[in-house]
Amino acid sequence: MKPAPFEYLRATSVSEALEFLQHDDAKIIAGGQSLVPMMNFRLAQPERLVDINAIAELTEISEDGADIVIGSLVRHAEAMRSPLLARRLPVIAEAMRHVAHLAIRNRGTVGGSLVHADPSAEWPLLVALLNGEIIVEGPEERRYLAAEEFFIAPLVTDIGEDEILTAVRFPEPPSGAGMAFDEVARRAGDFAMAASGALVQVEGGVIRDLRVALGGVGDGPVRASALEEELTGKPVDAVSVADIAELACEGLEPMTDLHASAEYRLHLVPVLVGRVLETALARAAGGRA
Amino acid sequence: MNDLPRKPLGPDADALASARPKYVGKAVQRLEDPRLLTGAGRYTADIRADRMVHAAFLRSEQAHARIKSIDCEAARGLPGVTGVYTAADFAGIPVIKAPSRMRDYRATSCTVLASEKVRYVGEPVAVVIARDRYIAEDALALIEVDWEPLDVAADPESAAYDGAPLLHDELGTNILFERVFETGEPDDAMAQAPHRVSGRFRMHRKSPLAIEPRSYVAEPDRANDGLTLYGSTQIPGILRDILSGLLDLPGSRIRVVAPDVGGGFGGKGSLYPEEIAVCALARRLGRTVKWVSDRSEDLASTSQGFDEIIEAELGFDDDGALIALKGRVTGDIGAYSIYPWTAALEPVQVVSFLPGPYRIPHYRGEVKGVATPKPPTGPYRGVGRPASVFVTERLIDMAAAHLGIDPAGMRRKNLVAEDEFPYRIGSGIVWDRSGFAECLDEACSRIGYEGLRKLQREARAAGRWYGIGIATYAELTGIGSRISVAPGMPINTGTETASIRVDSTGAVTATFAVASHGQSLETTLAQIVAEELGVRPEDVRIVQGDSGATSHGTGTYASRSAVLGGGAAIVTSRVLRDKIKRVASHLLEAAVEDIETGNGRVFVAGTDKSVTFAEVAHAVYSDMRALPAEARENLEASESYDPVTGTTTTATHIATVRIDPETLAVSIDRYLVAEDCGRMINPLVVDGQVHGGVAQGVGAALLEELSYDETGQLLTGSLADYTVPTAAEVPPIEVFHLETELPGNPGGFRGMGEGGTIGAPAAIANAISDALSPLGVGVTELPVTPERLFRLVSEARNKTDTEK
Ligand SMILES: Cc1cc2nc3c(=O)[nH]c(=O)nc-3n(C[C@H](O)[C@H](O)[C@H](O)COP(=O)(O)OP(=O)(O)OC[C@H]3O[C@@H](n4cnc5c(N)ncnc54)[C@H](O)[C@@H]3O)c2cc1C
Repeated sequence: MKPAPFEYLRATSVSEALEFLQHDDAKIIAGGQSLVPMMNFRLAQPERLVDINAIAELTEISEDGADIVIGSLVRHAEAMRSPLLARRLPVIAEAMRHVAHLAIRNRGTVGGSLVHADPSAEWPLLVALLNGEIIVEGPEERRYLAAEEFFIAPLVTDIGEDEILTAVRFPEPPSGAGMAFDEVARRAGDFAMAASGALVQVEGGVIRDLRVALGGVGDGPVRASALEEELTGKPVDAVSVADIAELACEGLEPMTDLHASAEYRLHLVPVLVGRVLETALARAAGGRA
Repeated sequence: MNDLPRKPLGPDADALASARPKYVGKAVQRLEDPRLLTGAGRYTADIRADRMVHAAFLRSEQAHARIKSIDCEAARGLPGVTGVYTAADFAGIPVIKAPSRMRDYRATSCTVLASEKVRYVGEPVAVVIARDRYIAEDALALIEVDWEPLDVAADPESAAYDGAPLLHDELGTNILFERVFETGEPDDAMAQAPHRVSGRFRMHRKSPLAIEPRSYVAEPDRANDGLTLYGSTQIPGILRDILSGLLDLPGSRIRVVAPDVGGGFGGKGSLYPEEIAVCALARRLGRTVKWVSDRSEDLASTSQGFDEIIEAELGFDDDGALIALKGRVTGDIGAYSIYPWTAALEPVQVVSFLPGPYRIPHYRGEVKGVATPKPPTGPYRGVGRPASVFVTERLIDMAAAHLGIDPAGMRRKNLVAEDEFPYRIGSGIVWDRSGFAECLDEACSRIGYEGLRKLQREARAAGRWYGIGIATYAELTGIGSRISVAPGMPINTGTETASIRVDSTGAVTATFAVASHGQSLETTLAQIVAEELGVRPEDVRIVQGDSGATSHGTGTYASRSAVLGGGAAIVTSRVLRDKIKRVASHLLEAAVEDIETGNGRVFVAGTDKSVTFAEVAHAVYSDMRALPAEARENLEASESYDPVTGTTTTATHIATVRIDPETLAVSIDRYLVAEDCGRMINPLVVDGQVHGGVAQGVGAALLEELSYDETGQLLTGSLADYTVPTAAEVPPIEVFHLETELPGNPGGFRGMGEGGTIGAPAAIANAISDALSPLGVGVTELPVTPERLFRLVSEARNKTDTEK
């Protein structure tokens, strides 16, 4: 379990990293929590590693007008502890508690998680839920990608070999929105067999904005659009969560693996969706008590 | 009469007690911990030597295939590579066979590296020696093997049929052994029993998974044409003996040392091809060779545990009294019969222990072991008993449910009672008196069993799933020579020897052939020697795990070291203490009978006359004027101890679980153990062993499974997929102790290293089944993964839907 030989370069700026990436077989290393195991198993054998950990500009969590911007090098543990995120997007900390274990959260990064694109990972689900925009810098241009553009297949994204993910930008959530996240994993810290996040805005007793995102049940993060359509515009009092949660399964084709069959994942989806919807509604201003 | 306390006659009892402190039974802090916790421990991977080279093994990617050719040229040409070796390079080493006297047993032939064909994914095929492990692994990638895949029968039932693809052609069958144990008239008794319950149970394959993977360093001694093997092993003595034959070296020129070892659980208790390979290559190259297994290799090549299909039936009367038990066990033993234990070890013990601690007049246990293209199974903590206890305890609960009797009451009624000991169960095992019913009662009263049943009724009324599971078991530990000779193994595991000496400075060194790998033997054996000799535990240096220090001894496994090592410590210390007393009687000019030892001093009881151990030693070894020549006895003793049969250990485990009816997530709410291991040497150590054992039992019950697909490929090749319990999955464990006396045994110690793992799978399976009982389903397969639970519950729900 030793990696194949590789060359190691350490970049101190985005432009330097882009320069180092001008090579046939180079790979960025951020927290190393997914890449290093792949290299040790020799599933990944990059000839060159470009270490981006010394690029200070990628480490910030900041506000840009009403938007919230999270640099790609922000560690899961930092996102979990951030007072800014706790105030503006508390669902992020709620989800981070489910990511791996302390040591891995201290190293693993937002950008690494998004580019690694495990279908069960929490960050991709959060980007889908919160309408985030993934910012990718390349030698020629900067691109802004929504979740449905960025995530292509399990472990496959739209990012090019010569590009670097610099940040993810979240728009201000609808005012008074309630949010919630929950998942089922085999053990504490394992990748989820199914995960769900919800965001709901209620005005005058009516659901104005509703988003439900799912993880672990598709090629990447999935939005439960049938359910969202069904509920948006409905009076809260007329909604029985238990009755509609099944709608979240519409169009899903989850995978079967060692830990969970497609049937079990499909069984979990309405359960989780029901739970996060209830919690989000309870948290929304003017939602259910 | 006056109330004044009377002065005791003779020496003051309190004063004597404080001059002669007791250590056995005290919660002495572990003496090895300062070393291990400050990083001063020395594990095999820490060992470095001048000009040392590193080994990496090319392992089979095929489950069953002929090796047409192996091309090593490119690998040999890689800079930094010393050599690449295949089976032909080890042709001088005899084939390894694990013999047995058992009828109908067929030993397999195993070579250091696979020659001609491979029989499991992970079997070593070639070995690279290189300057470092990185280069060695680079070279592995350059070796090309031309395979001719052969047919595969990966599950033991299909491999047992006539016409199944044969793993070992020369044996003519994949069935490596068959045995039957019978008492009474099981068929008639079962047929006539008023009630019967039965099931087909499955205990899946598990990895021992020690935190330190297997590691070996072989150091040639060129000056003496000898060799030292440092290895993470539980059995240095057994290895020394077999390697002596395989390498054709007398025992005086080959030494096997187990330095600090990070757990074994049985996985480091057998002979491995890698051990032979590094030794042979170190001799061939004249250089130290190191191999440290990585986690994937450890999962794919360390001996594996369990893996049985068990069909069993229990017959009982209207009152719940057990009448007859029948069990048929098919063991999937993997590709080879492991040395020295043989493939029979695990499955045979399942039928040996199936009757459990219960009075069952009629019994038949049939067992067969079938070779399949998977790594060999071997000893794993609990050996056979986790599976047998799972089955029997499930059947007891099923019987109780059938009659509407409480499961605790059902057990109480059938446990062997105090006046029935010694009791011979249907398989022939004899239980000596041990607190069977006492542990059950203690566990029930400590956990508040009646209250839990009330809690359960309330939970059910509120739609919550809550279950209570009991497991009561007995096991045979500290096995002596009469039982250990039975299988006809080439080794003697039934005795242990201690050699204890006081050197010329007065320091005490006690040498054993046990090999502690987490059992705290450096503490517990020191407590015993200290108490018997009259010094403090920290003054006793324990030497163990080094075959060079002893004439014979096998190591640490099978809950034997406290019983056998502890017994040897007592008998040897007593001989040495008498020598010390005799010498001191000259120095103190007192009668031997009046002399006592304690706190490192030798004194005349009831007086202030004393000498230190150092003074006694000085008189014997250095001051040739101090003693008459005939009184100079070397302060050394070496004695053996043999418990002849063994000791019975018992416990009751109670688990309570909550199951989320929607997600089917299982959480263990409470876990309680009441155990009887006789006289405890150190309650901290006993608690630690129970905690660790239960944690592994939680793994066996809920999480851990080595999955192989129908082609024999390992699906759980890393810890991402082979899921072990973490701190979050292991509940707090409450432990209570009973200490039933064991007459005729010097220390009164019973073995207890495995019990946690034996009771936990059954208790948890029963708790889950109890929680699910309103659905009419129960657990028959372990581990109960979320997926299995989902299928179980879905079937039950579908059934009730169609019945509606
Ligand atoms: C035991 C364990 C459990 C885990 N459990 C979870 C879990 O429950 N949920 C979860 O979400 N994750 C989990 N992870 C993964 C963890 O979150 C990783 O941190 C994450 O997937 C990758 O982040 P990283 O910074 O370590 O990336 P790295 O490993 O450094 O890189 C991963 C990939 O992303 C690329 N990359 C990294 N940064 C950039 C960038 N800025 N631009 C372009 N490409 C980039 C790399 O080239 C590589 O291909 C677990 C990991 C382990 C080891």
